[in-house]
Amino acid sequence: MEVLLLKKERLNGFIEKLQQDFEVIAPLKGDVIRFLPLKNPDDIFLGKNAYFPIKEYFFKKNEVLFQFNGTKIIVPELPSKKRAFFGLRRCDLNAIKHQDMVFMNDIHDPYYTAARKDSYLIGYHCNTAPSPYCFCGSLELADYFDLMVYDKKDDFLVEIGSSKGKGMAKKYASLFSKTSKKISEEEKKIPGSDRLEKKDISLFYNNSDWKKGTDLCLSCGACTALCPTCYCFETHDEVKTSNINEGERKRNWSSCQLQEFTRVAGEHVYRKDREERFKHRIFHQLEYFKEKHKVPLCVGCGRCIEGCPTRIDFVDILNNMKVENG
Amino acid sequence: MGKLKVGVYGITGCAGCQLSVIFNEDEILDIVELVDLRAFPFIKEVNPEEEFDCVIVEGLVADRGDLKTLKMLRRNSKMLVSLGACACTGCVPAYRSFTLKENYEHLLYRKMEEIKDVEPTPLDAHILVDHYIPGCPPEKKEILSFIKGLVRGSIPRPYQSPVCVECRQNGNTCLLDQGKPCLGPITAGGCHAVCINGGFECWGCRGPTEDMNLDLMVRMLRDRGFDDKFINDRLRTFAGLKLPMLEKVMSGKAHKTETTFRGVRVFYE
Repeated sequence: MEVLLLKKERLNGFIEKLQQDFEVIAPLKGDVIRFLPLKNPDDIFLGKNAYFPIKEYFFKKNEVLFQFNGTKIIVPELPSKKRAFFGLRRCDLNAIKHQDMVFMNDIHDPYYTAARKDSYLIGYHCNTAPSPYCFCGSLELADYFDLMVYDKKDDFLVEIGSSKGKGMAKKYASLFSKTSKKISEEEKKIPGSDRLEKKDISLFYNNSDWKKGTDLCLSCGACTALCPTCYCFETHDEVKTSNINEGERKRNWSSCQLQEFTRVAGEHVYRKDREERFKHRIFHQLEYFKEKHKVPLCVGCGRCIEGCPTRIDFVDILNNMKVENG
Repeated sequence: MGKLKVGVYGITGCAGCQLSVIFNEDEILDIVELVDLRAFPFIKEVNPEEEFDCVIVEGLVADRGDLKTLKMLRRNSKMLVSLGACACTGCVPAYRSFTLKENYEHLLYRKMEEIKDVEPTPLDAHILVDHYIPGCPPEKKEILSFIKGLVRGSIPRPYQSPVCVECRQNGNTCLLDQGKPCLGPITAGGCHAVCINGGFECWGCRGPTEDMNLDLMVRMLRDRGFDDKFINDRLRTFAGLKLPMLEKVMSGKAHKTETTFRGVRVFYE
């Protein structure tokens, strides 16, 4: 794909240009790194990947689906906002790709689509794995960006990945210079990020090693909240006190790690056992999604491990799992 | 059909939970429209004590008078709701159960006959409780949702997932990582993690979750340098009598223990 050159001293100029046309969301450093609306381009922090995922900008934590009054249903206006996301890693971009598959291809989710529609994705390539928990190299991630920025010591190389990206390159052409350089497949690999060994995990469903994870599991749902791909939610109604026939239906994030997630009428809980819930997450991420979409849902960002209060490393557990007989 | 007859009562407690009902000040007039608030002795002078569709009770049973009132309310109401930590778990007043009687008896109890032979206990130790609204204090919006649900015929389930769920969604990082003794992982949420949002660790005021991994929670607190006395005290402050397995877990002898959690029988392993 087409590659342009951006001189290092011009990065801030590029961001400032973006700010004139978009609301820019970028990784900022506070107590941890978060994707937040950017004010000053100098605040962008690219030293490490963000602790919190990008998904909240598209698949919102809390969202009003519709208002009702008796049997009348009013769907709220869903304005789209022109936003440019800067500093997305390869894992973040693929997480967006996988959520797009769920909310825009499998079904048409108007809320997700509205939030996603006018967003421009500008990636930042990791030259080395930014965190010891990373394992994206084991997951065959795809190119999924409008622009991708590669840090090549003296300069940035910017790869164009879509027509949206092309439009941006054209609009801000004065900042870029032409180059004959190309980004090879080898350069897209991230050294030190392939620690998940390839094996057929369907052989391990009943393995006794899962205990290593569940003994350390609080079922707190940190893993699924921090996961950039987890997309499960629940819905509930809130009615007005002045008129109990009038109210709102809301949806908010839920988690397969909770008993409440599979509780049905009659107090039956499908996955009551902690181990069942723990395994379900791993199998959905690595197996079940793949059966339907040909790619694993997991993008190997390692946030579920970094953010776990007990640092359960499912990659380590899987790597050490051996086929048991009987 | 007429309005549902509702009563709000307090037995031994600080009246803070009843205040939480009234603190819905923007909606209090709507509540009175929605239900027949027959009895609310804390703010009303005339309180007929018969035929309720629902009574909401704050506080715990700490003396013979409490027990009499509670049984009377249960007899007179189709539905009974535990309001607040004391009513749901026993909370701080239940601490009396964990210390020897001779340590405190001479102070007050010798003079007060009606207290002497009643152990401080949550409501469900004596009567059937239909619904629980936990917390110290309870969430005022949750009380409101309950009343609306009662009228609509669809009472919301109590929030049974841990505090961590809302805490992470609020964008907080884990206080346990900072070495603070946060009880969020074993405590029922629904509070929007208000304490942790303010940088203060969870003390467990909404009671333990049905699904808690108590053994791991104790290990994590020990790993962070807290001694067993501290852990015991902190865990029991709000969980009151709802952690009967704690002693076994602390001594490493945890095995199947039966307890009741919000009226549901639970096996703790």
